[in-house]
Amino acid sequence: MRVKTFPKGVHPPRTFKELTASSAIRTIEPPAKVVLPLIQHTGAPLSPLVKKGDRVKKGQKIADVEAFVSAPLHASVSGVVSAIVDWPHPTRGVFKAIVIERDGEEEERGKLLSVERIEDLEPDFLRRWIREGGIVGLGGAAFPTHVKVSPPQGKTIEYLILNGAECEPYLTCDHRVMLERPEEILIGLRILARACGAKAAFIGIEENKPDCIQLFEEKVKQLTIPTTVVPLATKYPQGSEKHLILAILGREVPPGGLPLDVGVVVNNVQTAWALGRMALEGMPLVERVITVSGDCIKERGNFLVPIGTVLEELIEFCGGFTEPPRKVIMGGPMMGIAQVSLAVPVIKGTSGFLFMREFRSFREYSCIRCGRCVNHCPMNLVPSQLARLSEFGAFEEAERFRVMDCIECGVCAYVCPAGIPITHRIKVAKAEIIRRSRKGGK
Amino acid sequence: MSEALRLVFTPSPHIKDATTVPWIMKQVFLALLPAAIWGIYFFGPAYAFWPLLLSILSCVGFEALDCWLFKRPLSIFDGSALVTGMLLGLSLPPGCPFWIPIVGGGAAILLGKQVFGGLGQNIFNPALVGRAVLLVSWPQAMTTWVAKTPFAFPNLEQGAMNLASGVDVVTTPTPLGISKMFGYSTLKQLDPHILWRLFVGLVPGSIGEISALLLLAGFFYLLWRGIVSWDIPVFFFVGLTLVAFLGGENPLYHLLAGGAVMGACFKATDYVTTPMTQNMRYLFGFGAGAITALIRIAGGYPEGVTFGILAMNALVPLMDRHQPRRFGVKPR
Repeated sequence: MRVKTFPKGVHPPRTFKELTASSAIRTIEPPAKVVLPLIQHTGAPLSPLVKKGDRVKKGQKIADVEAFVSAPLHASVSGVVSAIVDWPHPTRGVFKAIVIERDGEEEERGKLLSVERIEDLEPDFLRRWIREGGIVGLGGAAFPTHVKVSPPQGKTIEYLILNGAECEPYLTCDHRVMLERPEEILIGLRILARACGAKAAFIGIEENKPDCIQLFEEKVKQLTIPTTVVPLATKYPQGSEKHLILAILGREVPPGGLPLDVGVVVNNVQTAWALGRMALEGMPLVERVITVSGDCIKERGNFLVPIGTVLEELIEFCGGFTEPPRKVIMGGPMMGIAQVSLAVPVIKGTSGFLFMREFRSFREYSCIRCGRCVNHCPMNLVPSQLARLSEFGAFEEAERFRVMDCIECGVCAYVCPAGIPITHRIKVAKAEIIRRSRKGGK
Repeated sequence: MSEALRLVFTPSPHIKDATTVPWIMKQVFLALLPAAIWGIYFFGPAYAFWPLLLSILSCVGFEALDCWLFKRPLSIFDGSALVTGMLLGLSLPPGCPFWIPIVGGGAAILLGKQVFGGLGQNIFNPALVGRAVLLVSWPQAMTTWVAKTPFAFPNLEQGAMNLASGVDVVTTPTPLGISKMFGYSTLKQLDPHILWRLFVGLVPGSIGEISALLLLAGFFYLLWRGIVSWDIPVFFFVGLTLVAFLGGENPLYHLLAGGAVMGACFKATDYVTTPMTQNMRYLFGFGAGAITALIRIAGGYPEGVTFGILAMNALVPLMDRHQPRRFGVKPR
């Protein structure tokens, strides 16, 4: 197997994927109540289309906004809107959310796509259809998918890449979806390729999932669009868009640019799966597969959950804790976000929840300039220097040293022998620079 | 459900690899041990062990004193003072007076490190600062060597005389001293197997710098552990070889003699005082090696490693202005 990859990055000695890699996707019982925050994607927050007391059907659009970079929200269960209130949000502290009490009645389906004729459909129609389905990137960043597949004037897309790398330790939800639902993923692939006009496609999968690689190598033969399965090195951050493109095509996305600047569109496999399902069933994005793992939860595994399921209910479904966790993480351990409340709901960008007995508490030593962060930074930055500049508030200097190129993958802090929260300090600098430029712009 | 859960919030990443600063320092210390043990055996504990121990104690002690005096958090447990003490001790002449390692340790820690703000802030390698202070202040004490007679230059008149009178330790010139004054050919005449004996560690010199073999073994251990990389030592040797060759001297001899292997593998690779980016690391290694050879051949001292590395240390802040290639921008 010829394995492709990118320079630098890290090979974590343990990926902890064996904890859940063999557990088939289980559907959780729909909870009595779902909480749907009005921001679940990168872009503009939504405005509710329903009010308290309204009856909604599963699949009904309940919030939307005019903005291009946004994706509407749909009810994930049928029931009654019991409140529109501020609610704990997994990434934004507290945010306005629509609460629906389930009554278990009928559901509402959208338009089915004639799967045989995807290649005859207009790309514009497909993009509108994708947006109406509320589809966003399910890898974690939750960027609206219709925006990704809309190349601006004068740019053409050559290739579509499906991201099945799943490089974060612990997470196996994409692995399971690839293994169990390959047909729907490939329908999604065709929809995406048609929507963006790609003439060929690649599916990148890390070599620690040989079953998926083998399966897809077999399956892609039936496609009319030339598709190559690319085995990738098991390396973090192999699933970063920029590094996936570098590994597969040898192209580097320019600073501040997007994949489409080098003629590529990258989508997560689970996003493709959601599209394939939507084509076959007519149901917009109202559920997703997440991984529940860590050393404190009774039943680990991969679960198909309605978006809006509150974490407490999920924990109950998984049999509760074996011991109280000290840290709960939404997402993987490298880029995931620690949670302070168990009332947060599953949102579109939730790839998993990890329940950890121990929390990272390392003694912080002085930076010894060992250069490990430099040797491993996949963006060719000097992270220790950026962290120091951020600490001293020298944000202009940090900007000159390209702090905005940072993809926040966490590799620098992972390898730092002095235990310095380098990534965090860089994020602080980035946030401050963005804040200042907004202020200056007004 | 949400009874008394005390959840901890910290920024990502939530996992970290096992390498820590004290672990790294411990590995460096371990890597130096074979050379140190050979030095103690070669010169005898009375001549080699006590300077080494005093140097380590002095470095750790002065750091503790500084932390106490200036109310800094006690930093001696990060292991860096230990390594500095070891490096300084190994570069001292066997049989030096007891106050040499103490003064050297004080200079290394106080002038070399703490004045800059402690670990990670210093521009110059502390062990080399200590050695440089000793070298310019007490050149006599720093260049008087003793050796057990079986290992002293067999053909040297003085060695022979002392042998006859039953003394088991003699003072002896270093090979670099001899070649500086009389040329390499004289040295070769005195000792035809000089290169081999230098490589294995059978020629008197600084306590822990005599055996290239054992130092390289330690270096390869660090390479295997992923603690150091090959770049700086290799370019150090390239620089040294080039200048030695241009100066008409035997490059191999210059690699093996004096503190070249120790300097290249353990001092020029000091994290704190070397550049962060790859291209500059090549330049750093090359420059340190070249200056070392230049001083040896044309300078005032027989040995140039100390000042070769210190000179390049001074340029590191400048070299760190250079940034690695920007992702997404091909070099023109």
